[in-house]
Amino acid sequence: MSNIPTHIDFRSNVQHVPPHMPPAVRKATTKFLGNRADVVNQLGTDRWEMLRQAGHEIRLHAINHLDHYLTQLEEQVTRAGGQVHWARDATEARSIVLQIAREHHIKRVVKAKSMATEEIDLNHALQEAGIQALETDLGEYIVQLAGEMPSHIIVPAVHLTKEDIADLFHQKLGVDAAPEPTALTAIAHTKLREEFLSADMGVSGANFMVAETGTIVLVTNEGNGRMCSTLPPVHVAIAGIDKVVPDMASLTVLLKLLARSATGQKISTYTSFITGPRRVDGENGPQEFHLILLDNGRTRILQDESARETLLCIRCGACLNVCPVYNQVGGHAYGWVYSGPIGAILSPQLLGTSVAADLPFASSLCGACGDICPVKIPIPKILLHLRHRVVEGDAVEPATTSPIIQAGVQAGAMALGTPWLYQLGSQLLRLVEKPLQRGDWLPNLPPPANRWTMVRPFPAFNADFRTWWERRVGKPRTNKRLRNLALAVIAIEALLFVGWLLLRKRKR
Amino acid sequence: MKSTRDELLDKVRAALKRDVNSIMPGVPSTARISPRSTGDAEAERSLLFAEIEKLGGKTRRLTHSANLKDALQDLMRVEAIKKATLWQTTDLKELGIEEILTSIGVEIVSPYASNRVVAECDLGITGADYALPETGTLVLRSSIEKPRTVSLLPRVHLAIIRPNIPRADLHQVFDEVKRDGYFVFVTGPSRTADIELTLTIGVHGPQALHVWAI
Repeated sequence: MSNIPTHIDFRSNVQHVPPHMPPAVRKATTKFLGNRADVVNQLGTDRWEMLRQAGHEIRLHAINHLDHYLTQLEEQVTRAGGQVHWARDATEARSIVLQIAREHHIKRVVKAKSMATEEIDLNHALQEAGIQALETDLGEYIVQLAGEMPSHIIVPAVHLTKEDIADLFHQKLGVDAAPEPTALTAIAHTKLREEFLSADMGVSGANFMVAETGTIVLVTNEGNGRMCSTLPPVHVAIAGIDKVVPDMASLTVLLKLLARSATGQKISTYTSFITGPRRVDGENGPQEFHLILLDNGRTRILQDESARETLLCIRCGACLNVCPVYNQVGGHAYGWVYSGPIGAILSPQLLGTSVAADLPFASSLCGACGDICPVKIPIPKILLHLRHRVVEGDAVEPATTSPIIQAGVQAGAMALGTPWLYQLGSQLLRLVEKPLQRGDWLPNLPPPANRWTMVRPFPAFNADFRTWWERRVGKPRTNKRLRNLALAVIAIEALLFVGWLLLRKRKR
Repeated sequence: MKSTRDELLDKVRAALKRDVNSIMPGVPSTARISPRSTGDAEAERSLLFAEIEKLGGKTRRLTHSANLKDALQDLMRVEAIKKATLWQTTDLKELGIEEILTSIGVEIVSPYASNRVVAECDLGITGADYALPETGTLVLRSSIEKPRTVSLLPRVHLAIIRPNIPRADLHQVFDEVKRDGYFVFVTGPSRTADIELTLTIGVHGPQALHVWAI
């Protein structure tokens, strides 16, 4: 059975949020936000804002030149002795992993925490092929044992109490443990240590991929990322094509932003920098390294300029922590691996707005997510844009202005910007409206403007601005500022009117 | 037929309105942040140790390598060390770590033994190539003398460091190590807060981190 949803009903999911979920989630988000505030203050708000701006620019530059950096990354990984694979979608990515597994007669896979592998639902595919696939991040391990989905990107099992987990370990592992975090962690440690040592393949994601050097960067606190990428003879990393950054210097900014935004640590416990397989036998590390570059809808996001910045995300989870909606409902209500505000903009774009039509509306548009985002993704703006797409259909061309409107606006700008054309136009307008005019009003206009006059009359155009001004205040003095202001007002009015007319027409 | 790779790159280029010959500007200079400014070397060393302690690591300054034996004996008692493995660097060899450990009754295991055997060690001893005082981070490179599992599999990790390893910021570290096949930042002992957000030290990596400066 696949975990990739074909329909997400947020409203219905919200009805089924268990009552203990919101307090558990709020405990986590409050803690992370508190820690984050402390480390940001320690750094100084000015330096933090400089880092955010730099982080935004680095990610935007990488995404806007993605073809270049992906090519460079591939070249460098290959040069280091790694193998690079490209996958259009989840199905292709899964079959690449299965192919590698078959070639090496793999029986046991250990997995580090990775959103990309959850996105392609890798575990089910491996299990169906008779391969054991075990999550090794403690929270993910618990959630996997429970057969549930993560409720928070950083602490996946935050919705379960220590008593729940003790019960779970008793049922699934057959061990009796006191419901204490230390005792439970020790049990998971022993169980997973054996799995790390006997696994023949390690699977991870990548927090960043460095194009300059062909390096993948793994950030963890528990050490499971290091285990998965060091012990098994084969290491497979799977990452979205959006994860590439230009160079190591980019990481001087992004690593500082990531841990502070995620858990409020200055840096996570372990950061591994992996460039290809091991170079000599004695240093340990895998003999083979594979990198799978996953599209799965990302090139489609790239096409939509209004939503492209979704791809800047570094998966810190700060927007979840600060979101009033997420804090009320927890991660499960979002119906897939990505939750909170980032899930609300990412899921509809990866799955299609017809699958996740509810999600862009699962927000009060308070703007907190955009304010906290370490790489300044304009999440509220993208939410609005996606609401538009939900209503208007999933055409991902920059759909906000149609060619007709653009032509109209350009013609208007030209007429208003050229004095003789403007005067000629105002004279012509008065001529044209003459036969339709009844007193001060135009009761009937020809299509498409008749949509207006079917409801109410349209005011007649009595004079151009200069004439009107002369009548009101006498001969115009050469007050340029005032004239420019008046012209600007007219221009805006005219544009609004043209836009309105054409929108009415399109709706019809 | 076009490969997946070419099809994908074509899609990316089409979406970005770029082609193979499009000019490639460098990373904008406004996206770069200068390294942090530092105090004197002594202040940096104090900061490094203070940060490691905050994260639950134990630090110790040894004024002379002659004090090493006493320190190792203390560690053996406190952490109940029976088996140890270590990096094969000239630095650790010159300090005579292996001889001291043998003399106080600790069994030495080769770092080139199987993962399973190394995992049974109570103690793994490494050096550190660089350190970042701001975060309490040690930078460990990888080579035949510096096997990756020594700092990962044993229950206790001891890093014996030299006073000249602190660097101001990530910039200086990356300049030196970015062409390496592998390196790792270690900041405190392994930790999790996955069960009811209760901080628990020692999950998959070492449960204890000791850092000694000589």
